[in-house]
Amino acid sequence: MKSSTAQYVMGIDFGSTTSKTVILDRAGNMVASAIAHKGSVSNDGAMVSMAEALQQAGITEADIARAVSTGYGRRMLDIADKSYTEITCHARGAVHLVPDARLVIDIGGQDSKVIAVDANGLVSQFAMNDRCAAGTGKFLEALARAVQVPLEEMGPMAMTAVEHLSISNMCATFAETEVVALLAEGKRKHDVLGAVHAAIASRTLGLIARVGKREPVVMTGGVAKNVAAVHHLEQVLGMKLRIPPDPQIAGALGAALFALDEITSPDHADEEDRVDTEMAAARCGTPTCTAKKPLPANVHPLHGPALH
Amino acid sequence: MNALDALGASPVKANRLKTSSLNNKMVNDYWTDVFDAKKNGRLVCWYEGVAINPLMQAADIAWVHGEAWSALLAARNGEETAQTAAEGRGYMKELCSYARTHIGCGVMAQKRGAEASGSSFADALGANQLGERVPAPDMFISAYPYCSTGQQWDEMLFRLFGKKIPIFNISVPWVWGNKKDATYLGGAEFKEATAFMVRQLRECIKFIEEQTGKKYNWDKLSEIMHYTKRAGQLRMEAMDLCIAKPGPASFFDWTTSLAPVNFIPGGPAIVDYFEQVKAEIEQRIADGEGSVPNEKYRLFWDGIMNWNKIGWLANKFAGYGANMVAGRYTHMGFWHEWDPIDVKDPLEGMAINYLVCPINLSAPLMIEEIIKLCRKYEIDGVVLHAARTCRAFSNPQYLIADAVQKRLGLPVAMIEGDMVDESFYKDELVNSRVEAMLEAIDGRRRVGIAA
Repeated sequence: MKSSTAQYVMGIDFGSTTSKTVILDRAGNMVASAIAHKGSVSNDGAMVSMAEALQQAGITEADIARAVSTGYGRRMLDIADKSYTEITCHARGAVHLVPDARLVIDIGGQDSKVIAVDANGLVSQFAMNDRCAAGTGKFLEALARAVQVPLEEMGPMAMTAVEHLSISNMCATFAETEVVALLAEGKRKHDVLGAVHAAIASRTLGLIARVGKREPVVMTGGVAKNVAAVHHLEQVLGMKLRIPPDPQIAGALGAALFALDEITSPDHADEEDRVDTEMAAARCGTPTCTAKKPLPANVHPLHGPALH
Repeated sequence: MNALDALGASPVKANRLKTSSLNNKMVNDYWTDVFDAKKNGRLVCWYEGVAINPLMQAADIAWVHGEAWSALLAARNGEETAQTAAEGRGYMKELCSYARTHIGCGVMAQKRGAEASGSSFADALGANQLGERVPAPDMFISAYPYCSTGQQWDEMLFRLFGKKIPIFNISVPWVWGNKKDATYLGGAEFKEATAFMVRQLRECIKFIEEQTGKKYNWDKLSEIMHYTKRAGQLRMEAMDLCIAKPGPASFFDWTTSLAPVNFIPGGPAIVDYFEQVKAEIEQRIADGEGSVPNEKYRLFWDGIMNWNKIGWLANKFAGYGANMVAGRYTHMGFWHEWDPIDVKDPLEGMAINYLVCPINLSAPLMIEEIIKLCRKYEIDGVVLHAARTCRAFSNPQYLIADAVQKRLGLPVAMIEGDMVDESFYKDELVNSRVEAMLEAIDGRRRVGIAA
């Protein structure tokens, strides 16, 4: 049970493929960060990353004054007092890591987003990929399978590409078919992977065009750890990207910073907070939620089953 | 928890206009009349796009507006059979869902044994599927602005019915607006385009005379346009009242009020309808009653409507405390330029309205009109609904987004969906984008930056 006098805040990024948790103390120092890979919007993953972060910090849930969630599963977490979208949290986290950032590129498991940030560090515009996962982490995962190369080895291998090949950036499934066809033609895995990463860059460039190119550019999300994705993006942009030391936790860090704001600013306990407790059960935010607690009367889920 | 969480879980319902329900009776009466057309010895014209129905009404021809019919099927969950029928004939899923649905009805009309005799098909009364009930055409009039699919849609139907049914094509010129003297509704180019349209409408009337074998009833057209003009005026006046805060009606109310200015017969009923709508709005303003329970954001909807999701979207935005006060679709079309209509000689005024429909203006002209609306209604953010199968509507959306961002400082959210094909819509994708936009508005408000 959280206590408002406790000394820490928590941010949880309940993403499509990984869950990230960041714990800050009241001075804003990061005391723990944890990442758990447990598959699609996995409750287990969120629990594991939270437990690990608490353990790292050497504290318990009772030491958390406030928790804020983000990511696809943001409404599924009972522990969260509030939730914000990934756009808002990634921008906040990225600006904290790189204070003069004006453009944030975040390529996560299921979506890619480009966020323009104004001089106040606020989101001024954003663009997200449309329905297709082409150009996202999922795209890389699918192609890693097709090429039979472990995900983490894809980037380094792609950097050694020699032959210039081309792969569609419009559809993840078609791209997989193209990869298989290129391999069947006898093309080298290295060259095919070079084309895969170039496709990601060109897809992301389209999103950047929608919000307008500006510097400095920060890249966050799991794909920022991929050396070839970064290289190709820098090539097409003609700019250097700034990659924070742990780019995957930017969203969770942003969420934790919001939690910190909210315990230090008296207006955080707004009217919606009061409603929050009544609606805890209705937070079930995605159709994949299978827990079965009945909803309180007159509370309807946004989407997904009417059970929590 | 923030307002956006509440929105998700909240049982909030939009406070829709009560008078909108009067529209349902008009729509039902109209379709019953269409279903009975053949039985009553009336010719049937199929058409799409702009509201040329007064031309048919004056000649006592029944009219089937392809989009209206498709939207009706979608609203009653009957669109899928027709869409499948069209796909079975090779009209792929990426083609305009209105066209696919309407063409599917054509396919179904053929399947029930109607023969392409060149004049008339067996009437479809008693058919099991709603999609089969629309009477087959005796003529087509094609007057589609801008959208290339729209222009080919009638030709697809023409081919589908054995190339034997008379078709008349009206070419609606694109309003470029790039000459020095060009303004919205003004300049030599627009004047020329209007004159060109009027000449074609006169030719179209000759075509109608050939089909009916009767002299055209110009007095009847004037009478119809008298009511249409008045309905258009009342609708615009009622929409203008929504500058009030809280906004007494929303874009979603105006979409459900389109039928009377789109395909319902021009007559006293449509005037009466908008008088009642306007009176309800005036009452709401007097009572301080808004279309969403707690108006925190005022939004603009760019793009065509998602007919499968209309009530659902209205409630969704109401849950966010977001009032979608205006939109390109509703506020920039459907006899919105009622003033230039001279009821004694209505063709020019009709032509003007056909030319300035929401997709037929060049981006610079369109953007100026959108910016005027955003200022007038004091908009906080713009939602751009990119209909997957209506690229005619979504083509200029990046330009619109860029303009409202740069010139008005408004955040935007682009969401994907469709007019009548639900499969193109995904809830969570819409949530993330809309909520992120509202959070951006909140963030700016906290530091005192208003749009």
